[in-house]
Amino acid sequence: MLAAAKYIGAGLACSGLIGAGAGIGIIFSSLIASTARNPQIKSQLFSYAILGFALAEATGLFSLMIAFLLLYS
Amino acid sequence: MLNTDYQTIVLKINSPLEQFEVTNLLGINSPFFGFFHLNLTNLALYSILVLVIIISIHYLGNNENKLVPSKWSIALESIYASINSMVREQLGKEVYYPFIYSLFFFILTANLCGNVPYSFTITTSIMVSIGLSFTILIAVTILGLSIHKISFFKYFVPSGTPLALVPLLVLIEMVSYLARAFSLGIRLFANVVAGHTLMKILATFLYQMFSAGFVMFIVTIIPFGLFLAIMGLELAVSFIQAYVFTILTCSYIKDSIELH
Repeated sequence: MLAAAKYIGAGLACSGLIGAGAGIGIIFSSLIASTARNPQIKSQLFSYAILGFALAEATGLFSLMIAFLLLYS
Repeated sequence: MLNTDYQTIVLKINSPLEQFEVTNLLGINSPFFGFFHLNLTNLALYSILVLVIIISIHYLGNNENKLVPSKWSIALESIYASINSMVREQLGKEVYYPFIYSLFFFILTANLCGNVPYSFTITTSIMVSIGLSFTILIAVTILGLSIHKISFFKYFVPSGTPLALVPLLVLIEMVSYLARAFSLGIRLFANVVAGHTLMKILATFLYQMFSAGFVMFIVTIIPFGLFLAIMGLELAVSFIQAYVFTILTCSYIKDSIELH
């Protein structure tokens, strides 16, 4: 019974990755748009985009950690 | 009389998180002298390996102050220059540069060592990642308190807030400040653990597909190409996580030095 609840909880906790996927898409779409506006500062924009990608991914992976926590302890 | 023999089916499900277990490799455990336990774990072995790799890269690429750089010293000098520009852009002064450089190199080497198959990534240990980020937060707080003494707490009141909101805002800012300790470490830890777990699961499926006959072997080349792409992504994540950890550490040091 507890194991079934763990599996259900872990599956529900993975829905936090929806936000991560949406956030990463927004970051890179604005990278493409801003590079089209000003191609000269492409490298600076790319480094900001990588920083933003890592931060957005981290939030999604926090929820994945909760899923692992539920599943294995 | 029928002699029925039955097989016991062993249902042991190996979890993909077993690759992250810290196991004792060799050690001295004695019940004498106050229960002496000294163990070399796989985490310690890989930490020593990362140390040896970092020191040997810098020792062998030394080039002894020659004017013409060798290939190795070009690589080391370009890494030096890029991290130097990052530190100077964020902080404006180079006092904390050796620390930032060694932090970047340590996390990069640790992640890259873990991408070798069958090896252990030391940043998948929560003690390493969160210990590192917790230490950085304590260091940055002590730095801010020693520079600014009691007016360090001006950092928690953003400029231009109405006076009625200040208590609530200070509370929220303090919680967000203390959460930096965990978020910095958990970002590194979760990225590396999730990537390695995904690769373990995919490799298990690929193994079963590859060993299921000759036709399946040929057909499985296509999913194997996808697995190679995910391995490339894992390589990129190693670099990106080292870069993000370093640049966020620079940003936190900057927040402590200039309080806004």
